[in-house]
Order: sequence, then structure tokens, then C-alpha cells
Amino acid sequence: MSSRALAITLKIPDNEAFTALRALQRLHIPVAAVERAEVWIFESSLSDEALVEGVRANETLFNPNKHELRVLRDERPRDGEVWIGEQGEDPASRAKLGGKPLAGVTAVRRYTAWLLSGEEGAALPRDQVDLAARGLLCNPAIEKAIL
Amino acid sequence: MPNFGIIGKSEAELSAAAAGVGVALRVDELQRIAHGLGRDPTTVELYAFDAQWSEHCSYKSSRHHLRKLPTQGPDVVIGPGQDAGVVRLGEWNGERYCIVIAHESHNHPSQVVPFEGAATGVGGIVRDVLCMGAEVVAIADALRFGNVTDVESHQRYVATGVVDGISSYGNAIGVPNIAGDAYFDDGFSDNCLVNVIALGIVKEHQIIESKAPPGSEGWDIVLVGKATDASGFGGAAFSSLALDAKDAQANKSAVQVPDPFLKNVIMRASYRVFEYLREREIFAGFKDLGAGGIMGCTAEICAAGGYGAIIDLDEVVTSQEGLPPAVIAIGETQERLLWILPPHATADVLQVYNREFSLPEVSKGACARVIGAVQANKRYIMRFGKERVMDVDIDFLTGAIKDELPLANEAQASVGREPVVQAVSHPNRASRDPLFKQYDAVVRGATVIARGHAAAGVMMIPNTGLAFALSTGGNPGHAWLGAEAAAELAVHEAVLKVMSVGARPVALTDCLNFGNPKKPAHYAQLVSAIDGLARAARELNLAFVSGNVSLYNEGASGKAVPASAIVSCIGTFADFSEVLNPALQSTRSFLFLLPGDSKLDIFDALTRARAKGAVLACGYVEPGPVSLSALRMAFAQDDRSQRIGIRMERSALADRPGLLVEVQQRDLGRELFGEDATLEARTDPSGIFVGADAAFDSVSIEELLAAWRAPLAKIFG
Amino acid sequence: MNAKVAVLVYPGTNSENETLRALLDAEVDAELVHWSNAATLANFDAYVLPGGFAYEDRIRAGAIAAHDRMTDAVIEGAQKGKMVLGICNGAQVLLEAGLVPGTGPVRRPTAAFTKNAPSGKFVCKHVYVKLNIAPQRCAITAGLPGEALIPAWAAHGEGRLAGSADHLDEISHGGHLAFVYAHADGSVDDAAVPNGSALGAAALTNSQGNVLAIMPHPERDAWTFNHPFSRDGRSGMTFFHSFAKGLKQQ
Repeated sequence: MSSRALAITLKIPDNEAFTALRALQRLHIPVAAVERAEVWIFESSLSDEALVEGVRANETLFNPNKHELRVLRDERPRDGEVWIGEQGEDPASRAKLGGKPLAGVTAVRRYTAWLLSGEEGAALPRDQVDLAARGLLCNPAIEKAIL
Repeated sequence: MPNFGIIGKSEAELSAAAAGVGVALRVDELQRIAHGLGRDPTTVELYAFDAQWSEHCSYKSSRHHLRKLPTQGPDVVIGPGQDAGVVRLGEWNGERYCIVIAHESHNHPSQVVPFEGAATGVGGIVRDVLCMGAEVVAIADALRFGNVTDVESHQRYVATGVVDGISSYGNAIGVPNIAGDAYFDDGFSDNCLVNVIALGIVKEHQIIESKAPPGSEGWDIVLVGKATDASGFGGAAFSSLALDAKDAQANKSAVQVPDPFLKNVIMRASYRVFEYLREREIFAGFKDLGAGGIMGCTAEICAAGGYGAIIDLDEVVTSQEGLPPAVIAIGETQERLLWILPPHATADVLQVYNREFSLPEVSKGACARVIGAVQANKRYIMRFGKERVMDVDIDFLTGAIKDELPLANEAQASVGREPVVQAVSHPNRASRDPLFKQYDAVVRGATVIARGHAAAGVMMIPNTGLAFALSTGGNPGHAWLGAEAAAELAVHEAVLKVMSVGARPVALTDCLNFGNPKKPAHYAQLVSAIDGLARAARELNLAFVSGNVSLYNEGASGKAVPASAIVSCIGTFADFSEVLNPALQSTRSFLFLLPGDSKLDIFDALTRARAKGAVLACGYVEPGPVSLSALRMAFAQDDRSQRIGIRMERSALADRPGLLVEVQQRDLGRELFGEDATLEARTDPSGIFVGADAAFDSVSIEELLAAWRAPLAKIFG
Repeated sequence: MNAKVAVLVYPGTNSENETLRALLDAEVDAELVHWSNAATLANFDAYVLPGGFAYEDRIRAGAIAAHDRMTDAVIEGAQKGKMVLGICNGAQVLLEAGLVPGTGPVRRPTAAFTKNAPSGKFVCKHVYVKLNIAPQRCAITAGLPGEALIPAWAAHGEGRLAGSADHLDEISHGGHLAFVYAHADGSVDDAAVPNGSALGAAALTNSQGNVLAIMPHPERDAWTFNHPFSRDGRSGMTFFHSFAKGLKQQ
């Protein structure tokens, strides 16, 4: 049993990231680009290949027309990135998985990953990412932010 | 740009070449194209004909049979042929109000990508109604799924995905979902059916037609909505191919991506444009982009007005770099509409979409923009860069083509007869609330009877006294009777459902969901279903005002779905206080069955009975045990009220749809409804159901209610 | 001069017309104000944020709208004591803007109306809400009798009140819990709650009592034609009459 993180990103234009960028700029955060990913952390006994195969086949998680899938090296955010997850139970991730359970997977956590970069593509400094999380990306009453 | 070589090729070569580029045109059709053009088509032209001549767009194998349906009537303003039909609702303060209705299928996309497929089905049907100049006020859906009881089954994933897709789209655009049905049958395991219906309201003199208006030569062609992308390329041709499981992955790229948020804003902006045009008495043409994308829409709207068009593909805003011209021209990116505008109005209309409703802020690349002009000569021309990528006769492109296919004697479908007595917990009898409670049935604040509370939904037109009812019919359990009888029953189902809430039926729509028309047995089913629809509609003196044909509904095994003519019925009220209650009202009353095939004019009889104050409640009777229909009237009571008991007088089986009427006095039944009416049950204060057969135990209504509610809650809850 | 009320239309709002209709029928001088006219909002005396999916619920329900220019005017108005009502998505915006329960700084939410439990799915269900505070505690409910019972429709995917134990304590002890879900007979239990909401909460108010965030829609059961078979004489319109009364006393 081991845990593995997978990121699902949109290959069509991401209007949510586009709107987040505008809203963060209104908060005077020096951000020039926002990339969003859905990060799933699976506890499973499957190999990387089998897990990726399972997620690809799970049509509620992954639509090849819209999505790209990659296995993450680390189970934590990169520089310039914040992960937002639900505190306690997450009914939405359960609803999403409920359509078609993943065989061989025993536990699941879900985060929205926001990668913020400044001018010339450099990752935003940690204090600015923290400000973005507190100011907009995370509602601390129901969510937690991991930097 | 290289042309697609047809001239001088053998049939085998052509067949292989067409398959190689993903084109569904047959060899004889390819040859006809080359002959008509006098040369080989360009790539763009090839895909354009592929879309326009697909079954989806051309109705090539059904159009000539559909002529048998009655389409005219005193209340019909516009019959089938445009994006939506129009029927009169009534007059209020000297204004004539009309209902605009459209009915379509989105079966294939929903089977492949259930969420997106069903959501874009709703998106498309809403545009069909919007582009008639109407405010969209209601949607409905008729769903047919395979067996969903197995947790691991693909069908369960399809069914939950479809319900989620419809709910997420309809809820976001703010149009209530007020009617419809859902059935489960193994016959739909390879191919679900998702029929969607949208309904709008427009004043009769404010209808906008989907054609270039008279004198529109040189007018602007304005594309509105989402930036064009590669999604939905091949959609029209894709719908006309039978589904093969191994192709499902490849087919996904043909499925469009829904954006209900953008649609919400486009709808509101379009209402503002309607106002603007009315104030200035400007006539314009408006049409939605569906099958065949920009090409299909611009060609049809200009051809309908007797014009040609010139389109500049470089003016189309795209959200992906380097899209080939065929994809820009024919791809079916969602959330787009098209105006034909006199040039003096163009700047103001662009201002509404781009500034006041700030489309570019709402979705990246979304906007309204001029992409071409209406031409006096009947050429259809598309330019891309310095090249002319399309130059054809517009009538040749959009004109009617026809397939005369062989018929076989209709084979009795292999669907077995249902057991006579079904428990209330059978998925096809159980409460559908767990599905429908995910749909917003009450946004707009005009809902009178919300979905699931009666056999038909009822809505008010605020600030008028006008109201309408909407229902669907087409129980797949009747397919074993043969396509003709099942289609006839579908009409009666929809009509009686509308009557059950007290409305006068005024018009019908249909969607014919069948198998491969090239298979004589399947084709015969389609043709006999049309006969059944026509006969029932003529008997009832009702017209079909809109419809759609969905063929090739079969899986890799070649097994087609059960013959499914799905019908919707619109009813109107002279006054909404005529709405009938579907819930039992009295603990000392009598339930009379009015059979649907009675010689009696049921609506008139009901009206007379109501005038005397004799009708307490009215329920729709589904073919099958009448006791189950009586129980539904008990289930319709408020949860906190004292349960009314039912004692069946007989154990009748209704062989046709009908109505069950609750009256206070026993002798009133025959007096009001004549000899055909039969006393089926009486009510009492016990809260217990007692069957007429000795074999039937007495069961508390509460217990039955729980059994009725549970089965689908486990799956969709 | 009559107090003027703005009904805000954000991109994605979908219940503006019936909300306006309910206010007009309660004799409130109200009009729609569209997002491209945000600059005019300062001229209004009260604000109503209707239902829908402002900005498509991007990031979280209400999150982007809470930072919108229109909401700048709402926050400023609320701080000056103007009446502010949010219904459904409008309520989510008010919680994200930190105006309700208003126990933290502006735009630092201390609670949320979030995903329904246990299903995580949208629910459309007829409900009743019962006034759980003294009517005078909130300007918008001041015209209602104590324990008023109002019919409404719950129609949301994210209507469950959630927050830390401390914040929920603050809500119940600080008199913020304006309405709870109830049955038609006024009784209150878990079965009456359509979405798993903490404290059975259907609506919250702020400390000053000039802002109310209510999840279910009273405007969808406000006219006789919305309840043709009802015998209890209750109507969502009562709620808007109370709003009108509050406005007169503002």
C-alpha cells in the first residue's frame, strides 16, 4: 500500500484560472499567470501504470477530450503553488468517485492546486502565495491551504 | 489546398478514401458531389457535404415519411421545419402570446460522454428556442437507460452522468426543468436515449425567423459566443454512425464541451438585443449553431431566405492556434449563435454583447463579431487566408436529399411481456424523485406544479393569467406491442398526462429514436411508428409542431434500442385556477377510471364535472394495474398530512392510458362520465391499501411509500 | 422619498427577475442593476443579491463575486447600516464577503454555505423556514411574528452551513441563526434539513442585524399560483412584506 499523487489539468482554456488571475490582480498580488490542476492522492496497492490506467478509464475523473493526466513526483506543492483541500469530509469528491469506484484504491484525497507565477514566468514568492490563499483561494472556515 | 479526389476513382478506392478521412458519405453521394460541382471537392467542401448530407441534418431516410404527420391546426403558428415550432398560448391585454417548443435527441453523445453529452443536449435545445426570439422558460427531458441496478455497470455511470449533466446545465442557465420521464430497460444498455425539450414564450408579432430577411443582400453575418475550438468536429456525421465500444474513445473528440455560465450571459444579452431590435422595428435573422457548425448555420439561414453567403474564416476568433479551416468551418463548438443584421444595427448589437454583457470577460475569446455577408447570388463561399476553400451552389449544399430504403415486415421486437403485477419498487414504477430532485424545477418563480408532483409540469406566465402544462410519453414497456401501437400509445400518454392536471392539449412534438434505417426491419419500425403517431394525432385533432429523428441507435452487437417514439404534449389553461390536484383529498371518496379510448371527449367531460365542483383530484393512469395509479395519488399527499386509505373495488388492468378521478359521491361518476367510467376504488381514513384480490394483503400506505421511494434513491441519491 | 433598492445582477445570476417581481409586489421601489453599471450602486438605499451561479461558482460559490466591484458597494453600504439581503447564491456571496455572520474582518469568511451532505449533489425541495431569533433582532425580519414559518424552495448544491466548532458556537450564541429549517407544522428536526446544514441553519444575520443571508428561495413560493393546492395560507411573500416594512424604518 502506498500513496501517489496525480494531477489532472485542462487542455482546453481554463476560464476558472482566467477569472482567478483577474481577481488576484484586483487584490494587488503581483501575479501574471495562474495554472490550475486537480490533484488526487490515492492510497492504493496498484502500480503507477495500473493506477494511471484506472484513472484514465474512470470517466467521471478524466475526459481525454478535455484533460491531461500526470503523475506527480512529490505529494506536496511546488514553489509558487498552493493546494486547497476540504477540511473533514469532502462530499464532492465522493460524489465524483461515486459514479464508478476505482478498483484497488482504498483512500482518496482531493486538492485544487493553484500555481501562481509573476512576470517572466518565475514562481511567485511564498509570502505572496500565502496572501493569495488567505485573500481568495482558501476559505479557512471549510478549507485548508498547503503551501 | 489539395482536393479530395473523386473523379476517375473506383468505388472501392472511394470507399477506402472516405473511411480514411473519417467521412461517412457513401460512394454514390461522393460521386453526386463531384458531378454537382463539376470538379473534385476541396477538403472543406468534403466535410461540409459530409455534415449537411448526414442523416442528422438531412433527414434523408425519414423526411418523406414524416410528411404523413399532421402539422397544421388552428393554434399552430409555425410547424416543423424551423429550429422550433410555435403554437398559440392565448391572449392577454390584447397581446397574443405563443409557445415556442423544440424537441431533440442527444443520444449518441450521451452514451459516449454522459455528462457533457447530456449537458450540451440541453444547451442546443435551449438555443433552438432562443433563436426564435423567445424567452426560454422551461425544459424537460425523457430518459431511457439500461439496467442500473448493478453498482459496477457502465449503464449506472451513464445514467448518473446524464442526470448530473442535465442538472448542472439547466440549473446554471436558470431555466426550470418541469417535466419528463425516465425508464430503465436492458434494451438501452448499449445506447441510452436522452431526449430534451425546451419551451419559450414570445408574442406573436415578435417572432424572429431563422432566415435571412427579405432585402438582406449585403447584410452582416455576425457570430456570437464562445471562441471556436477543435471540440465537436465531426459531430453531425458522428451522430449518424452506429456506436462501437472500441470507437468510444475516438468518438470523444466529437463531443462538445458545455459552458452553461457563458450561455446564461448570452441568453440575457440576446434578450436585450431582442428589445433593441423591437424598439427600432428592425427585422433580423437569428439562428443557433448546431450540426455543421458555422458552415451549416450560415448556409441554412441564407439559403432559407433565398440568398448566398460569403464567409471569412480569418474573422472567426479561435481559442486554439493553427486550427485547419475545415475545423473552424464545421466544428461544433458550443454556445454560439448567429445574427443576420442590417449594417446600421451591427455596431449597437456588438456593443450589447461585447461591452454591456462583456462576453470577452466572461469567457476567454468569447465575443460577437462580423464574419461575413449575405450575397445576392446563390453561391456559398468561404475564404481562409488568401484561399477560397469553399465555393458551391448553396441549394445544392443544403437542398433535400432522399434515401429510399427497403422496408421489411416489422419484426415483433424481442422485448418480453411485463409481469402483470409490478411491485411499486420496480425501477420503472418507483419514484423518480432521486433523479429529478437534482434539477431546479422552480427557478423563475413561475412554477405551479413542479416536476415529480404530478404527471405533467405546470407553469404560469407571470403578469398574465396564462399558464401551460408540459408532459412526455413513450413508455418503452409498450415496445412489444409493435412500433405502430407503441407510438400511438405515446401520443395518448402525453395527452392524458396534460389533461390530468386540467390543461387542454394544444400541440405535440416528437422524437423518433430508432435503429439503423439501412436494416429493413429497423426502417420498417420507424415507418410504422410514424403511421401510429399520425393516426393518434388525427384522432385527437392535434398537430406536431416540432420534431427530430435519431437513427442508428444501436451498439456494436447490432441490436437496436426498443422502438422509441417519444412524444411531448403542450396544454394550456384558460385560467390557472383550473389546475387539478394530483393528490387524494378525501377520506370518503370514490375513484373512477376514465379509459383513454373512451368514446367520450375526456377533456370536455372533465370540464363539465369540474364546473359542478365534483372533481376533488385527478391522476394519470399508466397502462398496467390501476391500483398502482391509485397509489400514486395517495403518495402525492403532503408528507405531514394524515394518510388516506385506498380500498380497491376491482383488480383492473388498464390496457391504455387513462385518468383516475376522485369524486365525493358514488353516483356522480356515471352521471358525469357515462357508461365507460368504472368505479375502481374508494378511500377511507385507515391509511391502508387493500387490494381487491384475496391474495392481496393489506399494506400501510406509509410502508408502500417507503418502498416506492427507496430503489432509485440508492442509485441516484 | 421612497428608499430605492438595487437587485444585483452578477455574470451568472439567474433569479433576478422573480426576486425583482417579489419586491415590486411587496411595494418596494426596486430595480435591476447589471454588473456593467456597478458605479451606480452607491445611490441605492438597500441591496438584494439574488440566486444563481455568479461567476459560475469559480474557485468556490460566491468567492469571485465577493471580490467584485459590485460587492465593494454592498460592503460599504452594509457598514453604513443599509439593509442587505442575499438569497441562495447571494447568501453564499455575503458569507464569502465576511458580512455574515460578520464575526471576522471583511472578506475573511468565518463560515460558509458549502457542498450539501451527504450526497454532494444539488437538491430541489420544497421546505419551510422558521424564524429562530426575536423578530427585532434583524431589520429584514422585524415585520414578522415571532417564530414565523415561511414556505420556500431549497434549490442548491452548496447550502450546508459549515465552520469550526468555535465559529458555529459564535453563530448560535450571538443570535446569528436567523432561520432554521422546519416542517410544515413548525416542528424542527434533522429530517426537515435538506442539505445537512450545521445547526439546521437556513439563514444567518450579522451582529447589527442589517444583513441577512438566506439559502432557500421564498420568492419561488410567493404567489398563489406557486401553491395552488395549499390550504395553510402561508406564502413566501410574507418575507418580502417584512423586508418592505424594514426598509420603511431604515
